[in-house]
Amino acid sequence: MASSEELSTFLQGVERRAFKQTVYAVRDEHVALDIVQDSMLKLAQKYPDKPAKEYPMLFQRILQNTMRDFWRRQKVRNVWTTLLSSFTGNKDDGDDSWDPLETMDVGDERETPSSQLESSQTMQLIERAIEKLPPRQREAFILRYWEELSVAETAEAMGCSEGSVKTHCSRALHTMAALLEQQGLSSEYLGVKS
Amino acid sequence: MSTDNTNHQNPEQLEAQAKQIAGLLDDRAQRLSMRTLKQLEDGRARAVKAHQQNAGVSVNTDGTLSQWVAWVDHHRLAFAGIVLAAMIASFVMMQNFQTSETSDAFLLGADLPPEAFVDRGFEPSLNRHTNI
Repeated sequence: MASSEELSTFLQGVERRAFKQTVYAVRDEHVALDIVQDSMLKLAQKYPDKPAKEYPMLFQRILQNTMRDFWRRQKVRNVWTTLLSSFTGNKDDGDDSWDPLETMDVGDERETPSSQLESSQTMQLIERAIEKLPPRQREAFILRYWEELSVAETAEAMGCSEGSVKTHCSRALHTMAALLEQQGLSSEYLGVKS
Repeated sequence: MSTDNTNHQNPEQLEAQAKQIAGLLDDRAQRLSMRTLKQLEDGRARAVKAHQQNAGVSVNTDGTLSQWVAWVDHHRLAFAGIVLAAMIASFVMMQNFQTSETSDAFLLGADLPPEAFVDRGFEPSLNRHTNI
């Protein structure tokens, strides 16, 4: 069983990445913060007796499930909003359609020196490409390459087979490469030797 | 989504690119605003507090006490059995104590001196004399 100190250390190490991953998925900082905080609480409340080594996988699974819950609620809300707006004929309810660009500048509040401008723009293009990935591909890509989970762990976190994970990852890699090439970012530009 | 998925890179190159991108994303994730970091810290503190409440009072840094409280929580029947056994044992001990206390009072309150009860030959001698 993990101690509270181990839980705190684990969450401290993972919270920033979890937040960014959630922002890419839900495209709203406030919602992302709620989801991450909710996931942290669920991990602490539901699995107090689990050893610390199981936390990475458990947390990812909780995070992904909490995001799915959010999408489900959002879907129901959208249905009701559409129904109600069709009755009332109110045309000012366009707030639900997100503009991904509105949330692109997370953590970019500080002054960026001119030497860092190019890399900042590159990052924005990469983040935009990740946001454009289909949800399951993005999930597989993030878990496999960012969280560095194994195929088996990713499959467990995503609730699918290992074969599906490999398929999602392969498609995600090809889609990302194509999207980045469209933006003028070749693999050589990113430092990958051919 | 209309993206051209046919690109000239082989799987190794694509994986290397993915790892490169993951590294860049990791760098990016370290540059969050102070407000966001504070909110994440608050969330973490709430989670740790909930963990302490769920796992019991965690006094030791190695979580020893937490483990014990968690064991009690998960083995309630066994814990109830242990408590019951302890109560029965303490009751029996109290009974024994009270018995010895009564016998002490009897010895001290008797007409004969206490030494008479210690002397093993006294009772047979008394019986002999009373039979006569």
